[in-house]
Amino acid sequence: MIQWLMNIDRRIIFVFVFLGVALPLLANVFLPIKPTRDVISVYDQFEKVAEDEGIVLLSFSYGASTEPEMQPMARAILRHCFSRNIKVVAVCLWPEAPGLARKVLEEIGDEFGKTYGEDYAFLGFKPGNFAVVLNMGQDFRDAFPQDNWGTPLEELALTQDIRTLRDFDFVFDLAAGDSIEFWWIPYGQEKYGFPFAGGCTAVMAPDLFPFLQSKQMVGLLGGLAGAAEYETLVGRQDKATAGMSAQSMAHLIIVAFILFGNMAFFLSRRR
Amino acid sequence: MTRDTYVFLGLVLLFAVVNGVLLANGVLAADWEGLGVIVAAGLTLALYSFLYKDNPLFKVAENIFVGVATAYIFSQNWYQTIYGEVFVRLSALGGEDSVSGDWWLLAPTVLGLLMLTRFSRRFGWLSRLSFAFFVGLGAGLTIPRTISSFILAQIEPMLQPLSWSIEGFNLLVILIGVVAVLVYFFFSVEHTGVVGKVSRVGIWFLMISFGASFGYTIMARLSLLIGRVTFLLDDWLGIM
Amino acid sequence: MIFLSRTLPVIVALCFGVFGIGIYYVPHAAAQNLERELALWLRVVFAFSYLLGLYSLLNLHWQRIRQRVEGWGYSAMVYVGFGLMMLFVIHNDGKGPFAPQAEGTAAENGYQWLFEYVQVACSSTMFSILAFFIASAAYRTFRARTPEAALLLVAAIVVMLGRVPIGAYISEYVPAAAEWLLNVPNLAAKRGILLGVSLGAIATSLRIIFGIERSYLGGGDE
Repeated sequence: MIQWLMNIDRRIIFVFVFLGVALPLLANVFLPIKPTRDVISVYDQFEKVAEDEGIVLLSFSYGASTEPEMQPMARAILRHCFSRNIKVVAVCLWPEAPGLARKVLEEIGDEFGKTYGEDYAFLGFKPGNFAVVLNMGQDFRDAFPQDNWGTPLEELALTQDIRTLRDFDFVFDLAAGDSIEFWWIPYGQEKYGFPFAGGCTAVMAPDLFPFLQSKQMVGLLGGLAGAAEYETLVGRQDKATAGMSAQSMAHLIIVAFILFGNMAFFLSRRR
Repeated sequence: MTRDTYVFLGLVLLFAVVNGVLLANGVLAADWEGLGVIVAAGLTLALYSFLYKDNPLFKVAENIFVGVATAYIFSQNWYQTIYGEVFVRLSALGGEDSVSGDWWLLAPTVLGLLMLTRFSRRFGWLSRLSFAFFVGLGAGLTIPRTISSFILAQIEPMLQPLSWSIEGFNLLVILIGVVAVLVYFFFSVEHTGVVGKVSRVGIWFLMISFGASFGYTIMARLSLLIGRVTFLLDDWLGIM
Repeated sequence: MIFLSRTLPVIVALCFGVFGIGIYYVPHAAAQNLERELALWLRVVFAFSYLLGLYSLLNLHWQRIRQRVEGWGYSAMVYVGFGLMMLFVIHNDGKGPFAPQAEGTAAENGYQWLFEYVQVACSSTMFSILAFFIASAAYRTFRARTPEAALLLVAAIVVMLGRVPIGAYISEYVPAAAEWLLNVPNLAAKRGILLGVSLGAIATSLRIIFGIERSYLGGGDE
């Protein structure tokens, strides 16, 4: 029996995982979420920018493979920005990001009745990884001479006075790769000293804690949980919050599997 | 035909029937968006069929995805840089829209084109100049920034005065942990005696860190699964 | 010929490597302008480098089709997807490829439609499949055979439960424990790794600049 349990067909495990995700979603359960310190720091920084009537640079450095984690984060951030009348300039550092960035900017921009060119601008994607950040720091117009549709930056009201990264009051990177750690911090934040924070996939979050302690990052949103905490702070529960019940159930199932597997292992060793 | 073939054909038929019902009931609109949702749901389920067994549906979906993604990334490079910056600026050279510095753009353009000689047996050596520029400049840019951002900026917060408080305790643990981990990774000295004991402490810290990373990785993958299941249940079937 | 194919690239790497280090420390406007220019050069070369990957991929699948290897039909599917998307890329909503990229939503624009309903769907599904395999692997292989493995397991469980709402239901200490684990021992280990990796990166970069490390040049024919 124990041997059978230890060598169970993995498709049975797949079914448990699927049900653990699907059933809570169908039941539409919303669990209360308590925001953590690092997420609150990001929220407070955006609030400060709102009070100063500042401008934020939002960098989209993720692709379609991490869309379920990062898009809810982008929505929550943009809802906060637009609800507080923060101006947003969006750039993409990943080739797959433009389609996703455009979609979320237009969706949330329409929701809040924002005007393109005055309240937000989308400058598209530039290849070059860290070189783009380096270029933006020296001369923003050199890196992004036009917006995504060919309009020169000097013709958009929002970007007329932007020359370098120093002209932004806050830079926020939505990252699925190492853009926070290996592009923005060494090539941007280190030299130009702007307030910087990031939202990342859960895979990368543990790697970024050293930068929080060293104050190179103001705060961090880690994965779907980070997005759900931000939705709670913004006061608008959406897909991230809805996903937390499924996330909780799935985690419980996997923990149960791990404990069960170990129990079976130790019992079989005793025999 | 094998049993699995019947199963897959049956599932394809079921998929078609479900979509017919969804269209008939108005859950899905009979427009490009509705067709898009059906195509996306079909591709999602085709890819998930790999969980049962590797099969032709999965391979077709996978390869179509590879082709579409390749063309998409090409388009982003083309419109944003190769056309948007290089072509536009170089074609304006000498004209009234020309900027004096634009002549320098010829240099990286030539380097970029030289890179493409990589595939030529006779002229492949020319691509080495491009790679040398890229790698050499990248190495040069990396060094001072690594020192500043990753070494000095990371050491400084550890060298704070300790205190009789939770923060002081945490700082001490961090200091011990960093030193222990660095000792563990120093393989030039044999890990015996004091060095061995410190290295062991480093291993404990690493295990905690890997455990945290593992937990977060599970969280990340499940989040992606939640996103796809939400799409299937909400956007496609409309039952959420 | 050896000078042009072997020595000259090393000299190029040395020169640009030294420039890269120097312009960081020289605040003069000329150095900053050089940095700006070189960053632009990097971006342009980067864009062209993508074409290498494009050619490699298409050539690989073309060879499979040409040689009729087993499963060559799937390689034809790559070309089907590529061709379909390239049609819309070149068409560019009637403006052609030598004009700025067209606007439009998925309902208006075939390019956006393919991105949203094919690429996004497939890409996120491929990665989400890993959730199932991770669960299966965790059950079958994640064993506390040694004290270190047990420590890893406990840390993983605490973080998994502490970072989701259910952790607070189990005990108020679970989220606090997860928070402490991440902000103290995890931070220490990651910082140690970061310091080690950074020192290694500096050493490798210096080796590249001084021509000791030449693997990026490739081997073989002169």
